[in-house]
Amino acid sequence: MPRPGFVLEVDERTPPLLVHEGERFRMQKFPLGTRVVYPPDALPGVPDVHAAIRHALLHPVGDSKPLPELLFSGMKLTIAIDDISLPLPPMVTPDMRQRVLEHVIELAARTGVEDLEIIVATALHRRMTGAEIRRAVGERVFRSFWPTQLYNFDAEDPNALLHIGMTDQDEDVEISKRAAESDLIIYVNINLVAMDGGHKSVAVGLAGYRSLKHHHNVKTMMHSKSYMDPREGHSAINDSVVRMGRVLAASGVNIFQIETTLNSETFPSNLGFLNKREWEWSAYDQGLMMAARKGNELAPPRMRRELYRRIEAPYKLTGINAGEVEAVHERTLTNLHRQQLVEVNGQSDILIMGLPYLGPYNVNSVLNPILVHCLGLGYLFNMYRNKPLVRQGGVVILHHPVPWEFHQIHHPSYIDFFEEVLAETTDPAEMEKKFEEKYATDPWYIHLYRTSNAYHGVHPFYMWYWGAHGRDHAGDVIFVGGEANSVARLGYRRADSLRDAIEMAKDTVGSSPTMTYFHAPPVMIADVR
Amino acid sequence: MTGIRDDLKRMAEGFRWGRRPMVPRSAEPYALERTDRTFPTDWARTEAGTAARQVILKSVILPMLRNEVALKVHGRDVLDGVQGPLIFYSNHTSHLDATIIMTSLPDRWQSKTAVGAARDYFFDVWWRQAFTALVYGGFPIDRAKGGRGSVTKARELLDDGWSLVVFPEGQRSPDGHVQRFRHGTARLCIEAGVGAAPIGIRGAYQAWPKGSNWPKAGRPPVNVRFGAPIYPEEGETHQAFSLRMTQAVAALHDEDRSTWWEALRRAEHGETPSLHGPQGPDWLRRWEGLRPVPRRRSSSTWE
Repeated sequence: MPRPGFVLEVDERTPPLLVHEGERFRMQKFPLGTRVVYPPDALPGVPDVHAAIRHALLHPVGDSKPLPELLFSGMKLTIAIDDISLPLPPMVTPDMRQRVLEHVIELAARTGVEDLEIIVATALHRRMTGAEIRRAVGERVFRSFWPTQLYNFDAEDPNALLHIGMTDQDEDVEISKRAAESDLIIYVNINLVAMDGGHKSVAVGLAGYRSLKHHHNVKTMMHSKSYMDPREGHSAINDSVVRMGRVLAASGVNIFQIETTLNSETFPSNLGFLNKREWEWSAYDQGLMMAARKGNELAPPRMRRELYRRIEAPYKLTGINAGEVEAVHERTLTNLHRQQLVEVNGQSDILIMGLPYLGPYNVNSVLNPILVHCLGLGYLFNMYRNKPLVRQGGVVILHHPVPWEFHQIHHPSYIDFFEEVLAETTDPAEMEKKFEEKYATDPWYIHLYRTSNAYHGVHPFYMWYWGAHGRDHAGDVIFVGGEANSVARLGYRRADSLRDAIEMAKDTVGSSPTMTYFHAPPVMIADVR
Repeated sequence: MTGIRDDLKRMAEGFRWGRRPMVPRSAEPYALERTDRTFPTDWARTEAGTAARQVILKSVILPMLRNEVALKVHGRDVLDGVQGPLIFYSNHTSHLDATIIMTSLPDRWQSKTAVGAARDYFFDVWWRQAFTALVYGGFPIDRAKGGRGSVTKARELLDDGWSLVVFPEGQRSPDGHVQRFRHGTARLCIEAGVGAAPIGIRGAYQAWPKGSNWPKAGRPPVNVRFGAPIYPEEGETHQAFSLRMTQAVAALHDEDRSTWWEALRRAEHGETPSLHGPQGPDWLRRWEGLRPVPRRRSSSTWE
């Protein structure tokens, strides 16, 4: 029986604790009394993945027929899959998408389906390269369909989008024309965190700027408390997406949703100590950590990045459900919470987090300063239910070097955003008003998005908005070890050590603050009571 | 180089290298169950290991022991002519006990005796494991679970002709008085058909009580008294044999306090004083337990 997550209180017996800081990690002594939130142990995977997939397809949940009954000869079938942002890190092959796709395509082939297309639901994310897609879907699927019937979604192709209608809150619902006009959309999802999946899969993954701007905006983000709590009324972004999903359903778009959940085995065995609680490290784990740390320091940056890029998570499937979107997602969330939920009593004055090397938008890329902001204040800060781990006006301390570097191909608009927009304002509302439209409609960024592997021109704005709630909630944000210039450009402060950062934080939260260290990854959700 | 040195220092301090690993208090309810790693100890009972042990016991440990406490050993002669193996047992109040017994045993027994030592204490870090195995011929005992693994090992040693030293109380006394004997030792005697040789140790608690790091200064007196082995009778239960074992140790303490004759007579009338100490609060029991053992000077010929 895997152990649940728990909250450690640092005492004199507590060894130094591991803190991620980008492409490095450190062993950090924490002040006595600091609370440390630990994730639950990894759940065991289902014993027979193929049997689980078959069972899910044949026994759908909600108001849905089994998949074989939904398929018929001569139908127009569209399968959509999550893009490279899931899971993190990329999982060891075979990827879960490949496993599910092979079952689905097999059924379609046997039924006599001929018009079949597979779309990578990238929305405004960068196009995946052929190699990346091959890795996700497997060689058999790739060779059968790439590039004509297996391709990246293009949210800027005016002929590829179809306006479905409006929600009761005047939100445009516009998705891929091919998908909308299909007899059936099958969405194959990997649900890593609570905000993934559900209506978000189709209504966001296959949508364009016209539709996305209704929920990817400052007002909605500020009212999403938290993104990871998709219960109605807790997340404005989720509520908006649900409204859109219901419009899709009402307009006759048929969706057969397949959602998978994975356990928390995030790091491979040669970095196994990253999955363990420190006082349970064997002598081997300690030696491995020191060797990895030293090797990491000595390695040239390119080699270091390459080594990190090669990390593959040995994730195991903990559950798969298929059928009607909302019924499926409800079960997915239950599964996810079984793996990720940790009860925490009360908030604290200071929240400390270590930011790892990877977020959803820098797979095979660079975690630039804007993505660091998004990872810290957008993702990790929001890994809670009920209320944040830090009180309103408290201080968030983040460990990351925040290097001033960008991936020229993946993030061209980020570079201009950093140089032009952030140099003028860090206020999300102001930049939304003054700059967003210009970046979203810039023909050069659109060209790069459609033909290269660049994120859409508006994407850096979304990343900034993503952290807006965390930024607004915190009284101060301090980066330990952050590069001075880039941290200043983000509008935050920096410190050389955790001790210095805590001293600086005392100006905001008083002389004897309570502290919580959120010991992630692996991913978890703090259920703050 | 400084970086590496600092790293090593931080890790050594934080992870208690060479010391007992500890679980943070708030993490204890979630601690992993320890896997029973069997530390190899057989090497310490080979001919070379035994020879090394005897050299260490006689040339290092015994002089150190005599330097710290005024040790007096009585009644070793009761073992003359006794055929092994035996299970030596005594009251357990101090870290000195195993050392005292091993250094006090006659050579014939010393070379063929192994000490059962708590796995969770003496077999936690490598150097303590090696020390326990080499100096005491030690083998691990699971005191928490009464694990069958350690019983199997004990039986194996007895079958090989090795005598054992065990402490039936399972742990050192917190106040110097004898705690209830667990029945595992009696059961082992009955199952293996071997005798139990009682040893009474007085003064070890006063010399080195639980919670201290080293014996007290001033060479406090410690008296050790060997008793004749007792054997389980036909059909005797382990509870009954365990009770006899307790009484045998109590009689040795009584003898040390008074005389052999008086103790014998009190035992005959079932009036041997209990070793369980006075009823009362913990401080009172500790206070009584720490009452110094009188120094017994040999009377001068001319007095």
